[in-house]
Amino acid sequence: MRERFISGFDYFVLPFMIGMIFVILWCIIGLIKIIVQLERADRIKLYKSLVNPVIIAKNFRDLFYDSLLHVKLWKRNKVLGYMHSSIAFGWFMLIVIGHIETFLYIPERGGLFYYPIFFRYFMAVESTTLKGSLLFFLMDFFLLVVLSGIILAIIKRFRSKLMGMRRTTKLTLLDRVGLYSLWAIFPLRLIAEGFTAGVGGGSFLTVPVNWLFASILSKPENFTIAWWAYSIALGTFMMVLPFTRYMHIPAEILLIPLKNAGLRVRRPRKGYALAELYTCPSCGVCLDACPMSVDKAGLKNTTVYYIRQLKRRNQPRALAIADKCLMCGKCSVLCPINISAIDLRLALRKQQPYNIKQDFSYLDKLPNGALTSAISVGGEKVLYYAGCMSSLTPTISQSVQKVLTNADIDFTLMDSQGTVCCGRPLLLSGRTEEAKKLIEKNTRIIKESGVPILLVSCAICYRIFKEDYNLEGVQVMHYTEYFEQLAAEGVIKLRKRELRYVYHDPCELGRGCGIYDAPRNALSRVAELVPATKERKESICCGGSLGSLTLTHEERGRITENSIRNLTANSPDRIVTACPLCMKTFSKQSDIKVVDFAQVIAESLIEEEE
Amino acid sequence: MIDFGYNLTPSSTLDIDDANMHLFDELCAMEPDALKCISCGSCAASCTAGVFTDVNLRKVLLSLQRGCEKDLLPQLKSCMLCGKCHIVCPRGINTRHLILSICKIYKI
Amino acid sequence: MKRNVLIIGGGPAGIEASRKIRDFGHTPILIEKESHLGGHLAKWHKLFPDGESTEELLNSLTSDMDGIKWFTDTDIVSINKLKHLYVAICSNGISIQADALLFTTGFSLFPAEKKEEYGYGIYNHVITNADLEDFFNTGEDPRIKDPKVIGFVHCVGSRDEKAGNRQCSKVCCATAIKQACEMKELYPDATVYCFYMDLRMFGRKYEDLYLNAQRKYGILFVRGRVSEVSENIEGRLVVKAEDTLIGKPIRVTMDLLVLMAGMSPNDENREIASMTGVHLGEDGFFMPRDMLFRTTESHSKGIFFAGAATGPKTIPETLNEARAAAMAIDHYFKQEV
Repeated sequence: MRERFISGFDYFVLPFMIGMIFVILWCIIGLIKIIVQLERADRIKLYKSLVNPVIIAKNFRDLFYDSLLHVKLWKRNKVLGYMHSSIAFGWFMLIVIGHIETFLYIPERGGLFYYPIFFRYFMAVESTTLKGSLLFFLMDFFLLVVLSGIILAIIKRFRSKLMGMRRTTKLTLLDRVGLYSLWAIFPLRLIAEGFTAGVGGGSFLTVPVNWLFASILSKPENFTIAWWAYSIALGTFMMVLPFTRYMHIPAEILLIPLKNAGLRVRRPRKGYALAELYTCPSCGVCLDACPMSVDKAGLKNTTVYYIRQLKRRNQPRALAIADKCLMCGKCSVLCPINISAIDLRLALRKQQPYNIKQDFSYLDKLPNGALTSAISVGGEKVLYYAGCMSSLTPTISQSVQKVLTNADIDFTLMDSQGTVCCGRPLLLSGRTEEAKKLIEKNTRIIKESGVPILLVSCAICYRIFKEDYNLEGVQVMHYTEYFEQLAAEGVIKLRKRELRYVYHDPCELGRGCGIYDAPRNALSRVAELVPATKERKESICCGGSLGSLTLTHEERGRITENSIRNLTANSPDRIVTACPLCMKTFSKQSDIKVVDFAQVIAESLIEEEE
Repeated sequence: MIDFGYNLTPSSTLDIDDANMHLFDELCAMEPDALKCISCGSCAASCTAGVFTDVNLRKVLLSLQRGCEKDLLPQLKSCMLCGKCHIVCPRGINTRHLILSICKIYKI
Repeated sequence: MKRNVLIIGGGPAGIEASRKIRDFGHTPILIEKESHLGGHLAKWHKLFPDGESTEELLNSLTSDMDGIKWFTDTDIVSINKLKHLYVAICSNGISIQADALLFTTGFSLFPAEKKEEYGYGIYNHVITNADLEDFFNTGEDPRIKDPKVIGFVHCVGSRDEKAGNRQCSKVCCATAIKQACEMKELYPDATVYCFYMDLRMFGRKYEDLYLNAQRKYGILFVRGRVSEVSENIEGRLVVKAEDTLIGKPIRVTMDLLVLMAGMSPNDENREIASMTGVHLGEDGFFMPRDMLFRTTESHSKGIFFAGAATGPKTIPETLNEARAAAMAIDHYFKQEV
């Protein structure tokens, strides 16, 4: 194998080179910007992570599995998984093998960006070796892989339903330019390499193309045009890349180490958040995931459009979307890069100048024991926090007390005379500092009671107690966990009934705290549990969420309707949920009876004979 | 008209003629729900903060409708945004956002 | 030529319409899903404004049923239209060919347990207006035990977006006051409160009823909607509301709480609408041709409405509308010829 040109250069590489240099400069500037914007503590965390062998290993693993192979996408949708990994991994391999070729045959050209890319143009085959054939075969093979991915991508663009996606994102103009140039790159490469295959060599794909051209074209040697077209497609793609969704390709390489270093979103557009914004591939998985998309108008409030508005610095629209969100977290869970959709919105809410200067000094005057009342039977001690909502759903607190009494558990009602809110609603409204006041007060009440177990029957409260309270020495338990434990230990005995239940995973409990099994195990003890169409981490928000600040009554109603439809697919006798707000929301619209978890357990108790 | 130098309106009367409704109009533009209240009192009766303080959303809103904003507005400072009033409101008013908007416009 | 009219719903509207249709010379066929005629009225004890006995009213309504075919315990399975005829298949196996249909399907009583915060079905001393009428009829209800303090909660499931019923049920204010007076007669020492949002005493003599309740019976009126109810250790009810006229939250301990469950659209309206193509309003009640002039006619030819099927109504309004519907049907037949 020898070089065809002494200069090792041709003008057609210029579009590619300009694009390549532009992208690299852009990414370097972006990287510096993000690192500068990080808070000091975060930056130190990042640097430390870069020398930590465990995190380094994890970074490489994630890069390989997520960026190249798209393992998460495979798990969810095989066709989409194949489409993405064929393009990403195939392209990556083409670049790698191109470099291997260059370094094997012309090591002195290794420093040139363009050389491995246009290797076939610059080379001429003199004799066939096994090594060369193998490399040529691999190049053609990966080109075929990428081309198959591109064909799937084209089908997906026009018939997204075939790929299991009901909706896809609306593309911006530049996204389209990027998309079409991406589609063009590999067919053009095939054509260009097909033209040169007679001189530069090829394998099972490019050689037949070469024969084809030779048979239909009079002057098949005139192939520079094809290489120009290939280079221009590459150049165009890279020139628009920073302004399109394809920015996710380089951005994800940065996001993975940032995420693995334990960084989180702090400000809506800066530092870690900026890395996330660029990593969003606009794939549109969040469109189908979002409960608000039951309304066509709700689609514009999904995460992909929120990110687009943030990037465009369209503050009013971004704010409107941030305020509308139910904060159910489903899009984050399904997102291929698990974007922090909730944190990104909370960050913007926190910046809101609401001018509300909350003053909770009245709580300081309140004695810590003023609201509690103890019911003593002698046994394990539990402090039961029913939460604000419980007075609107008396069944829950009554049922919890019935179960505790049956189990001979000593319990103290933490808020029988009035409730100090857990603080989660304030937190969800972006009022972090104010929420701290309530957290402090409740912490004092809990600590003063000296009770080792805090039992919570509200999923919303449970989440903040778990995440934002510092309750050392106190075990925080959701009643689903606690009752399941009591049943497993035989402290309470339950009878099974001929009923079919469906369990609704409250957002805050399931996706929020990862509790999926305890309620299901307990319910399986008392009835047959039938599945909902979407459940566990894919459960659909009831529509009542405190997360949304601006959804109207009517919009919420339609979300609720959809959520009920999802639950009742297997015609259960009852809908069981484990959050007072879900219960309240469902029961006003459901034809099927909605009951709370505690009520189900309380009704199934076998009373011990004295 | 001859000005006799004294005012027939006793000080305890709300003089609605002179009320400045500018801010309230602004509030209604942002929160059309502000006009939906039927003063049933559910919000005040169920209020979590109402156990500890005299916060009363119904009264605050009514006072804004009458253009006398100064007296009751500071009450809203004790609101914990727990959302109970949102759940009980028979008119489906989004009370939490209403409170935030009131604070935004009236700058309490 | 004699025409068949199928009347669906054997409450006061259905009975009265049947009689009048017969008087016009047509053949009424009356279908009632329950085992007796009279609908919700049959479960009531006395009626406002004068406390007239329900039994007497029903007796005079059903005294003259000659020439009316009526079936109880019968549901409609399907209704199909064949040219100018409607063919209805009933649950008892018979099929009826009718030249006109009249829906007198009335309302469903709002299920008070849906307002969980009021504790119906949870606490021992919370009952509904219907339960109280049953108590007046039978003298028995384990939940009523010589109450010292009694509360009436107006608008339970009425004027409540959260309960899915935006409309005012029209009759509950007067019913509550009537029942409050009756309770006061039974328990003269009891203190009786009415918790209302607006008192809608719109009819003739209703204001007298209100005046009597205040002056003669000493009923206490609190303007404020009950927000939540809890039970204390002695098993008494603690009721929370805001007294909106004083402007302060209040808390009252009670021995009996009566929930004035309102009128919801009949549960079966949706099914009927999909079978026959008649229009349903956003509120779930049937939609007549217009709300002023042709209130008994539907948008479909040969289908008519009377009574609470098109929205909450009082008894005299229902009876008048039943007669009006009979006239409209007769008029329809005459035009058809």
